[in-house]
Amino acid sequence: MAVTFADGVILGADSRTTTGAYIANRVTDKLTRVHDSIWCCRSGSAADTQAVADVVQHHLELYTVQYGAPSTKTAASIFREICYENKDALSAGIIVAGYDERSKGEVYSIPLGGSLHKQPFAIAGSGSTFIYGYCDKNFKENMTKEETITFMKNSLSQAIKWDGSSGGVIRMVVLTKEGVERLIFYPEDYEKL
Amino acid sequence: MTSIGTGYDLSNSVFSPDGRNFQVEYAVKAVENGTTSIGIKHQDGVVFAVEKLITSKLLVPKKNVKIQTIDRHIGCVYSGLIPDGRHLVNRGREEALSFKQTYGTPITVPSFADRMGQYVQAHTLYNSVRPFGVTAIFGGVDENGPHLYMLEPSGAYWGYKGAATGKGRQTAKAELEKLVDKNPDGLTAKEAVKQAAKIIYMAHEDNKEKDFEIEISWCSASETKGLHKFVNGDILKEANEFAKKEVNGDQDSDSSSDDEVNDEEEAAAPSSTIDAEGDVQIN
Amino acid sequence: MNHDPFHWGRPSDEQYGAYNNTIANASPYPKMNTQQPIVTGTSVISMQYDNGVIIAADNLGSYGSLLRFNDIERLICVGKNTVVGISGDISDMQHIERLLDEMEMENNYDNSCADDEESLRPSYVFEYLAAVMYQRRSKMNPLWNALIVAGVEEGKQFLRYVNLLGVTYSSPTLATGFGAHLAVPLLRRVVDHESDIEKTNLETAEKTIVECMKVLYYRDARSSRKYSLAIIDNDKGLIFKKNQEVSEMVWGFAKDIRGYGTQTV
Repeated sequence: MAVTFADGVILGADSRTTTGAYIANRVTDKLTRVHDSIWCCRSGSAADTQAVADVVQHHLELYTVQYGAPSTKTAASIFREICYENKDALSAGIIVAGYDERSKGEVYSIPLGGSLHKQPFAIAGSGSTFIYGYCDKNFKENMTKEETITFMKNSLSQAIKWDGSSGGVIRMVVLTKEGVERLIFYPEDYEKL
Repeated sequence: MTSIGTGYDLSNSVFSPDGRNFQVEYAVKAVENGTTSIGIKHQDGVVFAVEKLITSKLLVPKKNVKIQTIDRHIGCVYSGLIPDGRHLVNRGREEALSFKQTYGTPITVPSFADRMGQYVQAHTLYNSVRPFGVTAIFGGVDENGPHLYMLEPSGAYWGYKGAATGKGRQTAKAELEKLVDKNPDGLTAKEAVKQAAKIIYMAHEDNKEKDFEIEISWCSASETKGLHKFVNGDILKEANEFAKKEVNGDQDSDSSSDDEVNDEEEAAAPSSTIDAEGDVQIN
Repeated sequence: MNHDPFHWGRPSDEQYGAYNNTIANASPYPKMNTQQPIVTGTSVISMQYDNGVIIAADNLGSYGSLLRFNDIERLICVGKNTVVGISGDISDMQHIERLLDEMEMENNYDNSCADDEESLRPSYVFEYLAAVMYQRRSKMNPLWNALIVAGVEEGKQFLRYVNLLGVTYSSPTLATGFGAHLAVPLLRRVVDHESDIEKTNLETAEKTIVECMKVLYYRDARSSRKYSLAIIDNDKGLIFKKNQEVSEMVWGFAKDIRGYGTQTV
């Protein structure tokens, strides 16, 4: 999930990767950097989303050399183009979140078909279905950083609790004008909220 | 030119012994004989104006538009070989469109200038092509504000506060410099339109025997919501009247009463004047 | 002689040309790109009236049965007197939006009359979209949508449908998806025959469309309460109403319903 707040945007995810019912990786980092302050949450096929993120990272590198730092919208458009034009081959649900001086924190959701949706916050992946209600009810615009972290911790903790394909630790990345900050919460931190 | 006939002026891909590309220099000659085009950067946008010589009485007044739109927010005008300019604009449109398709946002004017520069420069490298016979003035408003550029046949481009090219460029540049000196904070969009008209009229003075129309467009955050639009109606009429008054006042010219003939439509140019033969009016 | 034993006894390239490997590796099927819709929009409904047309669509983007996005605008304005209503896959809808934006821009190139005489007319927009839809289905890679193009042109109403198969048709009332089943019969109670269009004013037409949106909200499990409605009127021009809500619903009778037949308590 990714959530905009007063000072920017926070990305959050669990750390479980499965092949069928087997947990292939219990400490996955699903929060992926594509530019200094543009990151994405990957869900769906790990191989597909890694490949897509790598391609986008490459595009943004070239973009930066030519035109300077990209906007979050630009990054999202590149993601969208790849996901839309290769929809038959990809299984990728991606949330693009970023901070730039002009647009501040922004979140774009790109679900399976390759459509692009700008949202104040977005959730995706197998666990997300269980927390639509919680998130819709508890999200508020312009929360503080602490409020946002609490909101996300609660949401992800519920997703992990009810979804067998989610689990492990909760990772977060905070994107503000101060730069990038990583957070991590262990099961003992979030299980009994 | 001393080097003419030495053979080094025939191909693009061969330097002359003193390090010049004559084909590019000849292209500049084509521009220098072209009609005058100018661009003014003002407080929140840019204004383009061009002198349109009436080469035939059979041409329909106010048609045969010269200034072109590249993307919603970028306009372009050029002097020199018109077909070359039109090709350049087509290329510009492709560039602007492809940028928008890949990156989801309109191209910024500096990146656009860079792409056009590269394209024009590539035409100075190959034996199989000739350089562009135009100097293009283009610009517009993007997320960073207004920008104005002038692109030469060599592929060199520079950002300007005011740009002029074509036959009347010397006069126009002198006027633009005065204008920039007098207005350190920049002009308003409407003021810039009037000044643009005046400069075109002044630049036309050396070419007085020929009839002309004036065409003006603008791209301004306040007046056109950042879109490149033609200046029409009262604003154009006002600019024309202002220009005529200023120029005739300056020169105390013997403008005949024929100049005051009224066009029922708003005049796009000196509504009517006596042509070279001195008897036919063009309305 | 070719000394490579691999080539001995094989047809020589000089004689027969190089062997075409693609034949051996060919798939037994034709190239197929046929997808399935993922995020979808439900019905678009529309009707003609004496001085123009009305078109409406809700703002929902469904992800299967999940009502995932509540802010999807499915009515797209093209120029001053055309509205395109799109149902079906939302990613393909966004693709169509990009095509229409490009079309609008190309129409403005070197066109000093683009704002009036030479502005895009609904029939132009429709012909273009119909060609795109048919071309894509012929490439076995359809755009998974059903579209209605609504507008006015030379003082006359324009209303026409095209879908992922490239099928097109017109009618005084048109609807896609669920609307074709639920709304069309209701719309036809007001405008059945061509001749009924002249007898229907804007007020009646709008009331009918609003009523249909209510029925669709009652009966379509993939619909939302919030919708947009556009009127393209010969005199008033384009009126675009966003954030409309289905209202005056009747639920009170539910309290009198007990069991499913014989039960009374």
